[in-house]
Amino acid sequence: MRIAAFDDGKIGVVAADDTVVDITDLLQRYDPLGPEDLLPDLISHFADLQTDLAGKVTTGGGRPLSEVRLRSPLTRPSKIICLMGNYREGTDRPLQILDLFFKSPEAIAGPGDTVVLPPHQADIFHHEAEIAVVIGREAKNLSPAAAMDAVFGYVAFNDVSARGLGRAGINSFLGKSFDTFAAFGPWIVTKDDIPDPQALHITIDVNGERRQDYSTSDMERPITELLTYISSVTTLHPGDVICCGTNHQGLGSMQDGDEVVTTVSGVGAFAIHVRDEHERTWQRGIDQAAGERVKAAAQHPVAATPGGTSS
Amino acid sequence: MRLVLTNDDRLGVLKDDGMVDVSAAFADIRFRTAHDRMPRVIASLVERRARVDAMVATGTPRALPGLQAPVPRPPKLIAAFGNYREDTNRERQKQDMFLESPDSVIGPGGTVLLPDHSASIFHHEAELALVIGQRAKDLPADDRALAALAGYTCAIDVSARGLGRIGPARIGKSFDTFTPLGPALVTPDEVPDPQNLRVTLAVNGEPRQDYSTADMEYGVVEILAFISSIMTLVPGDVVLCGTNHQGLGALQDGDQVEMTIAGVGTLAVSVRDPQHREWPRGVDQEMAATQRAVGNR
Repeated sequence: MRIAAFDDGKIGVVAADDTVVDITDLLQRYDPLGPEDLLPDLISHFADLQTDLAGKVTTGGGRPLSEVRLRSPLTRPSKIICLMGNYREGTDRPLQILDLFFKSPEAIAGPGDTVVLPPHQADIFHHEAEIAVVIGREAKNLSPAAAMDAVFGYVAFNDVSARGLGRAGINSFLGKSFDTFAAFGPWIVTKDDIPDPQALHITIDVNGERRQDYSTSDMERPITELLTYISSVTTLHPGDVICCGTNHQGLGSMQDGDEVVTTVSGVGAFAIHVRDEHERTWQRGIDQAAGERVKAAAQHPVAATPGGTSS
Repeated sequence: MRLVLTNDDRLGVLKDDGMVDVSAAFADIRFRTAHDRMPRVIASLVERRARVDAMVATGTPRALPGLQAPVPRPPKLIAAFGNYREDTNRERQKQDMFLESPDSVIGPGGTVLLPDHSASIFHHEAELALVIGQRAKDLPADDRALAALAGYTCAIDVSARGLGRIGPARIGKSFDTFTPLGPALVTPDEVPDPQNLRVTLAVNGEPRQDYSTADMEYGVVEILAFISSIMTLVPGDVVLCGTNHQGLGALQDGDQVEMTIAGVGTLAVSVRDPQHREWPRGVDQEMAATQRAVGNR
């Protein structure tokens, strides 16, 4: 099932004929405090809502996708957790230590929205196409066998990344938390529609030019392992978003006026626009140097540093 | 005003040795749990202040019950990287911060649970915490930024070292229970100079950290200006101002930890480690020296 947020504060199911059936009224029974509660409520009560949702879709009366304004499917995820480099990228390196960082939930942008490049003097602003998991229930210390039970569905994600900011020698990842830098959509596809999340094709196109183009089969650690690990650290909640990392081969700049389309096969595609008041320019096309740097680093994986730098 | 949240979800203001229940002043705020309630309460503090003050002036304090953190689940938990001079004469380092899991917060009297991860050590980091009171973006780096603050509280930024790929930041500080916070949200009118506060932390009664916020490299207004140049701040967000690493030490099973910020409050928690791992007790001098060396580079 495809579940979308659209127009102003409405939630809908995208039917097989690409019409959007408004189901917002079904969610009023949970007495939402605000529109940000609608999707998490739907996720939390999804099993109980099955019959009513099916009834709505059968009744029909939806509006064509082309006539609605899709929004970010989650108004404000309670957490956005991102995995550090999690693809082999054509190397034969040993498995790296798992590591993650958090992205500001205020950074969300949805289909058709504009990513605004800040005045900060970044070396470059990169797109990073990713598959992201939407969590379906509260979860802590998941076993590998139970990990997929905690998944609600998937979205396509563009983890926009400002490079070269922050203190040297430690990567704070703060360059990924600028407002509008967490672009995702076009809707949430429930997990039953994605039989194998480790066999999805991810692409990103900038002004029609192909950049990233890779398969989730190349992940170093599959989604079950990511969920097991992350839930050993922090409690997961319905609507938390976990970005599974990107394949850096094919990264490129985002700059003023660009249209960037992120596609995950079986999930969907969404476009965002880029605005930069400063109209800075970078070389167009794939950033080969960035891809080579990641591959070179992969041959010398960084070990954990006991008692290392602190904060 | 010192606002507290009790274990049975009442709102109180500290008075003398007790608390006056001021829940009635916030009764119209709809909520589901303390998690979504406190950001709404905090956002409304300024407009309700006169009414709350009147209730406190006429109310009879009763014994202070058990408390939750004043923000049990901040919308965002932001932490500054090393932000104290620590007796070095270094140039100011580049300002930098990172996000921790907001699900790591516990309240006064809570228990820090050391996880089954092979950390090289678990350190305490006593810090001044800022609580955001209103939506804010691009705040100026002067006293006008303070208008975005709901107030101050104490935080212990518990830190597992040696995990992850690049240093211990983020993941080693994001375990559930790793951010004790409280006991009260202290409004800015009670803290005339946030850059002149003494921060101390003791473990089992033995002094460890003891420093002044006068030693911050980037002060509170610069912290607010920096982070709001990147991300929108929202009511209930918590920003940790960093620690002075001179005086860090191990946390281990059975430890009783008490931190105090003069004029802000005292926060006490205990530590449990089901694996009963042991580290040397006392101040971690090696860590302290490493941090000074970084500073003088």
